[in-house]
Amino acid sequence: MKYQDTAVLEVSNFTVELMTDNGIFKAVNNVSFRIGHGETVTIIGESGSGKSTTAMGLLQLLPQGLAALSGQVKIKGEDVLSNPKAIAKFRGRGLALIPQDPMTALNPVATIGSQLREAIKVAGRITVKQQMQSKAVELLEQVRIPRVEEQLKKFPHQLSGGMLQRVLIAIALASEPELLVADEPTSALDVTVQAGILDLLLELQQTRGISVLMITHDIGVARLVSDTIHVMKSGKFIESGPAAQIVDAPAEEYTRALLSAVPRLGEWDETSMVAKGAS
Amino acid sequence: MLTYLPKRIGQGLLTVFLTVSVVFLLIRMAPGDPAASFAGPLATNEQLAAVREQFGLDKPLLQQYVIFIGQLFTGHLGQSYSFQAPAVQVVMDRLPYTLTLATSSILLAALVAIPLGMWMARRSDTDAELGVNVLTIAGQSMPDFWTGIMLLTGFSVLIPLFPASGFTTWGGLVLPTITVAILQIALVSRMVKREMVTNFNAPYLNIARSRGVSERVLTWKYALGNAGIPVFTALGTRFAAMLNGVVVVEVVFGWPGVGSLIVRALETRDYPLIQATVLITALLAVVVQLLIDLAYPLLDPRVRLGKAASA
Repeated sequence: MKYQDTAVLEVSNFTVELMTDNGIFKAVNNVSFRIGHGETVTIIGESGSGKSTTAMGLLQLLPQGLAALSGQVKIKGEDVLSNPKAIAKFRGRGLALIPQDPMTALNPVATIGSQLREAIKVAGRITVKQQMQSKAVELLEQVRIPRVEEQLKKFPHQLSGGMLQRVLIAIALASEPELLVADEPTSALDVTVQAGILDLLLELQQTRGISVLMITHDIGVARLVSDTIHVMKSGKFIESGPAAQIVDAPAEEYTRALLSAVPRLGEWDETSMVAKGAS
Repeated sequence: MLTYLPKRIGQGLLTVFLTVSVVFLLIRMAPGDPAASFAGPLATNEQLAAVREQFGLDKPLLQQYVIFIGQLFTGHLGQSYSFQAPAVQVVMDRLPYTLTLATSSILLAALVAIPLGMWMARRSDTDAELGVNVLTIAGQSMPDFWTGIMLLTGFSVLIPLFPASGFTTWGGLVLPTITVAILQIALVSRMVKREMVTNFNAPYLNIARSRGVSERVLTWKYALGNAGIPVFTALGTRFAAMLNGVVVVEVVFGWPGVGSLIVRALETRDYPLIQATVLITALLAVVVQLLIDLAYPLLDPRVRLGKAASA
């Protein structure tokens, strides 16, 4: 919540209309929010609420011709929606995406090293080949991948989902990100791996002052990482506010339902299970 | 790899052996008498018997087969009845012509089909793409003898640009190559399109786009790099099939290749020549297929020989 005056991302009246077989469907309906410098903003909602469509729409990664975007999206003060070429300036240079499923996010026939070097090249700060290699090593070390030199020569199918997500975070870091869009970065991963990835994201965000747009359906994740939470349902924000307020004192019934959907550890009540089974 | 290669070579040799054995049996079961076609319609029974003895056809079938197996190991498959020369030599003399036609056809097919397929993938579902798609279905549906005759009529008879028959000048290569390539272009371009569209829609491509990789690199390095793998296999397999001789096209254009040779050998019941042709083309097909499989891990790092590739 520092530097509130310089918004890294400012979204007003953002709407995404998808062309489907059953006509036009408003997946995102008139959404407005801003992300300040170093701030983490979370959009939370159930499947189909439009949260991922919002993220992909902001990045203009929805299939062209099938998605109509309207409203205003400003990245560091520049409107990237009115000028379709503007987004290309930011992609890989200050703007990065961490995808939902790391297993399908990398080119299967190129090595980790070559894809990392490609991202370093796009970022444009390093032009000498030798330095790209040492930068790649440095980035993988920052995301705490063991035996870096060895991993660089590997292909995506030779790494686990958790390791691949670390590689994708390293690729995102190559762009020297000011704005990081994390589209359910842990939902495709094993539960035991999720915490490690979240810790890494939090640490990088805090040490580098990166602004983050986090998309999740997991209220635990949202509470852990966010400054601000927007609760999304059917393409609209139904409740917004500071993280603590949304989690501890939700105003909307839907938010309370989301909160109560989190399984809690407690005493195992066998009698109720038996009763349910019998009825 | 150490167990893979000997295993594959063994499988290949077995394939060749079974092929020539089946052919050995089939041509002897088929109607027609080599002695009769060699000695002519006016030959007497004594003359026919003499010819049979000369060719070793009077011996029992099993004995003939044992002799044939022995010949396989020496590499000398006997004299061709009609050419009066070693059968293997006759085939080897024709082989360069078939190799030339197969190579030029597959190159033309690749050069046209890959850019065409990429264009179709980019223009997917537009009117222009639909039009080209109809043309490829037409190309796939036209029988090659008909295409060949139409091309001959058009560019050799009505407009005498190319020779109608044989291979005496490089111009003679043009029409047979186009005839063979048309079907391949139709099939391969649609395969390239399908593979490119699949890769254009793959998550990894969109995520690469999100990190600023240019559309040019996305198309050529990412999509084509992945789509190229099955296309390469298809082209290689088609090439291997063409080495058996593009029989109909060779006959239409009087092409002196293996395809027209086997037709003549069958007509004259020239057993040694049929056997030599089948042996050599089967060997070639197996070798080319093995080379394709060996090249596969270089294209696709996910494939390890001996595990996925042989499955």
